[in-house]
Amino acid sequence: MKKYICINCGYIYDPEAGDPMGEIPPGTAFEDLPDSWVCPLCYTTKDNFDPID
Amino acid sequence: MKASIASLYESVELIQPIKPLIIGERCNANGSKRFREALLEDDYDTCLTIAREQEAVGAHVIDVCTAYAGRDEMKDMETLIPTYSSSLKVPLMIDSTTPAVIERSLQLYPGRCIVNSINLEDGGVNIYKVLKLVKKYGAAVVALTIDEKGMAMTAPEKISVAKRIYKIAVDELGLRPQDILFDPLTFTIGAGDENLRDAAIQTMDAIKGIKEELPGVLTMLGLSNISFGLSPASRKILNAVFLHEALEHGLDSCIIDAAKMMPLASISEEDREYCYDLLYDRVKDPEKSPLLRFIEHFSTAVESKNDGEDEKWKPIEAQLYDKVVTGNRDDLEDILDMLLQRRSPIGIINDILVPGMRHVGELFGKGEILLPFVLQSAETMKASVRYLEPLMEKSDESDRLKILLATVQGDVHDIGKNLVDIILSNNGYKVYNIGIKVPAETIIQKAKEYDVDIVGLSGLLVKSAMVMSESMSQYEEAGLKVPIFLGGAALTRKFVAESCVPGYTPPVVYNQDAFDALKKVRDFEVGELKATTWEAPSDAKVVKPGVKDASIIRTNPVPEAPFLGDRIITDIDLEEVLALINKQALFRGRWGYRRGKMTGEEYQDLIRTRVEPLYEDFRRQFLKEGLIDAKAAYGYFACESRENHLVMSHNGKEYDYDFPRQAEAPFLCLSDYYKSAEEGGDVAGLFVVTIGEEVSKRTAELYAADEYHDYLMLHAFSVEVTDALAEYWHRRMRQELGISVNEPENIHGYVTQQYQGSRYGFGYPSCPDISAHGLVFDMLKPERIGITLTENYEMVPEQSTSALVAHHPQAKYFAV
Repeated sequence: MKKYICINCGYIYDPEAGDPMGEIPPGTAFEDLPDSWVCPLCYTTKDNFDPID
Repeated sequence: MKASIASLYESVELIQPIKPLIIGERCNANGSKRFREALLEDDYDTCLTIAREQEAVGAHVIDVCTAYAGRDEMKDMETLIPTYSSSLKVPLMIDSTTPAVIERSLQLYPGRCIVNSINLEDGGVNIYKVLKLVKKYGAAVVALTIDEKGMAMTAPEKISVAKRIYKIAVDELGLRPQDILFDPLTFTIGAGDENLRDAAIQTMDAIKGIKEELPGVLTMLGLSNISFGLSPASRKILNAVFLHEALEHGLDSCIIDAAKMMPLASISEEDREYCYDLLYDRVKDPEKSPLLRFIEHFSTAVESKNDGEDEKWKPIEAQLYDKVVTGNRDDLEDILDMLLQRRSPIGIINDILVPGMRHVGELFGKGEILLPFVLQSAETMKASVRYLEPLMEKSDESDRLKILLATVQGDVHDIGKNLVDIILSNNGYKVYNIGIKVPAETIIQKAKEYDVDIVGLSGLLVKSAMVMSESMSQYEEAGLKVPIFLGGAALTRKFVAESCVPGYTPPVVYNQDAFDALKKVRDFEVGELKATTWEAPSDAKVVKPGVKDASIIRTNPVPEAPFLGDRIITDIDLEEVLALINKQALFRGRWGYRRGKMTGEEYQDLIRTRVEPLYEDFRRQFLKEGLIDAKAAYGYFACESRENHLVMSHNGKEYDYDFPRQAEAPFLCLSDYYKSAEEGGDVAGLFVVTIGEEVSKRTAELYAADEYHDYLMLHAFSVEVTDALAEYWHRRMRQELGISVNEPENIHGYVTQQYQGSRYGFGYPSCPDISAHGLVFDMLKPERIGITLTENYEMVPEQSTSALVAHHPQAKYFAV
C-alpha cells in the first residue's frame, strides 16, 4: 500500500501504521480513509495529500 | 584529397554532389523536447529511434548533444556513442563545448566524426584544447563566428572572426582547410527586431566572403533560426527559400530537422516572392514592412489547409493563444501589434486571451498543469492586457463584471486574496482589490461606490472566520444585494454554510481556492450561483485530530531554566535555520509543485530539474543579499496552572493566559501541561521570532510589477524560512532546558514532533485567541527587534511568528 504525504505540513500517512489520533486502525489504505479524515498535524483535508513512492 | 567523414559502415563526403550536407538536429537535449524527455528517463532506446528517424528522412550526419542541466553529459555520451556507432549507418557530429567530453567521445567513436563546436568567446583558450583533440583524433570541426564581443552580427565581423580561427587552426595547429566548417550564424528576421532586418543578407554575404577569402574551407548553418517567431507553416517555407539562397552563396551544409525540409519546387512563385522580400528586406509598401506583408500573406494562405481547425483561427491568433497557455512572453508585443491590425483590443482580450486563460484553468483543474505554470500564463495575459489597455475605449470597460476583494479586519494576509485577484482579473473581470485589514464599513462603502456585482472576502486567521461570520448581519443591514464570496485557510464549507449563509439574504459562497472562485463567478454569470450548503458526509464520525491522551502525568520533572526573564538575540546562524526548511511543504504545498498525474519518476525529474535549482537560487539569494535579518525575543518564566489558566510571573507581575478547553474528549487545555502551585509550579517558555521586513518589501514589489510567479515563489519561501526559524529557535530552547536528548534525525521528525514537548502558536488550533499576543508583547517586548502589533494583535512584519513552549513529554498538537 502506498504512503501519502501532506502537502501542507509534510506529515506522511503510512497505511501500515494507520492514524491512532484519528482512530484509523493499522492496515487502512489511504484510499479507504473516510472523506472526513484530516491530517493529524495540520488538519488539512484528504485532497491535500500526494502519493509518494 | 576530398574531405569526407566516416562511420563504421560508410564514408560521407562533406561536399555532397547535390548540396547541402544535411546534419540532423533532433538528437539534442536542448533543442528537442522528445529527445530530452527520453534522455531524462534514461530511455536510450528512444534516443536511438530519434536518430534512426532522421537517418531515414535523409540526414547525412547525426548531431548528438547531451549537455543538459541535471544530466551527466559525459555518462550520456559514453552510453549513446557506442550505441549510435554500431546502429547508425551515418557518421556522428559530437555536439559539446566541454573538452573532456569531446575527448572521451572521440576515443569512443570508431570512425571519423565532426566536433561541434569551437569559437573565440573566451578570447582563445578552449579553442586550443579542442583543436588539439580534433587534430589528434583526425576529426573535422565546426567553428562558430563568436568572439570576445559575442556573436558576430555583420558580414565583415563574421569574416574577420573566421579568419582569426583559421589562423589558429590551419596556420598554427596544422589542420587542413577542408577540416573546418564555418558557421557564420544567423538571427531571426521573423520577430520584428529592426536591428535584424538585414540578418539574412549579412549571413549570406558572410558565407560568400568566407568561401572566397579562406579557400578550401566549408560552411555550415543552423538554418531554422532565420524564421524564429513566425508560424510553423510559414517557417517551413521561409527556411526552404533561405536554404536555396544560402546554397547559391556557397553554403555546403546545414543543421536542420530533416523531416521538415521542403523542396523549393513545391513552393509557389507568389509565396517565394514574399520570402525573397523578407530575406532581402525589399520594401514594396511604404506602409508595411516586408515582415508584416509576409505574415499577412501566410496567415491567410497557409494554415487554413489544416483539417479540423476552426476556420476563424488564423495563425497569429493561435500563436497568442499558445503563448498564454504556455506562459511565454517572448515577442508578445510584436504579436499583439500584428493582431491589432485586424482586431480591436477588447476583441483580442475576449476572443483570444480569456479563452487561453480558461483553457489553463481547465488544465489546472484536471491536474495536468501546476500552479507555477498557471501564474506564468497569468503574467503573459497581464502583460498583454497592459499593452492593450491604453488603446481601449473607456466604454469597453463598462460591461465587465465587477468584483470587490478585501482581506477582512484584523488580518494582514494578502497572498490568497491576491491569487484570486490574479486569476479573476486575468480572466477578464474587473477586480477592485482594496487591500488588507479592511473593516466591514469600508467594504460596504466601496462595494456601493464601485457598484460591484460580487464581494469577495479573504482571511487566513481563525479569528477572520469569526469576523466574517459576525459581519454578515452588518452587510445585510447595510442593504447589500450582491453575493458574498468567502475564502481562507481557517474556513470550511461547513462553517460557511452553518455560520455565514444564514446571516445574509443573497448567496454566501465558500471558495476552496482561486479557481473555485473563478468557477463560482461563472456560475453567477449564467444565473446558477447558489449559497453554500453542507451535509455531514455519510461516513462522518466527528473525530478531533490530535493527541487523545486524557491523563496528563503530574509527576514529570520540571527542567531548570537557564535564566528567568526575557532576552533578545540578533546573531542567528542562517545556514542552520535554512537547514530546517520543510522542503516537502514548500515544494508541494506552497509552491504548488504537486505530483498530480505524473509518475513517481516524472515527478522526481521535475523536482530535480526545475524545483531543486529554484530552491538553491532562493537559498543563495537569501544568504547573499541580506534578505533575512533573523532575530528572536524569548524568555523563561516561573508559572503555575489554575484550571484553564496559565499564570506566568515576570518582573514581579502576574500574566494570566486564559486558554480554551476542548468541548469533547479528551477535554484538553494547554494549561494541563503545566503544574499547579500545589504541585510545585512549573516553567514556561515564550518566543517571538522574525526574519525582518526586507523580504516583505521585495515580495510586494514583485506583486506590484505583475511578476506573479516570482511573487508566489518568494512569498512561499519566506513563509517557510519563518517556520524554519521557529523550529530552530524551539530546538535552541529545548537545548537550554536540557530536554534535547532525543532530537529528530530529519525534517520529517521535526514535522511530527519527535522531540520532547511542543510549541503552540497564538492564533492556531490549540490557542486560537490571537489577542494573547498583548500579554506576550508586554513580557518579551519584541518591539526591540522591530516587531509590532496591529490593533488586532497581529504581528508586523508579516514574516514573524510566536509560540508558547511546553516541556511536558505528553505535550503535542491538538485542536480545541
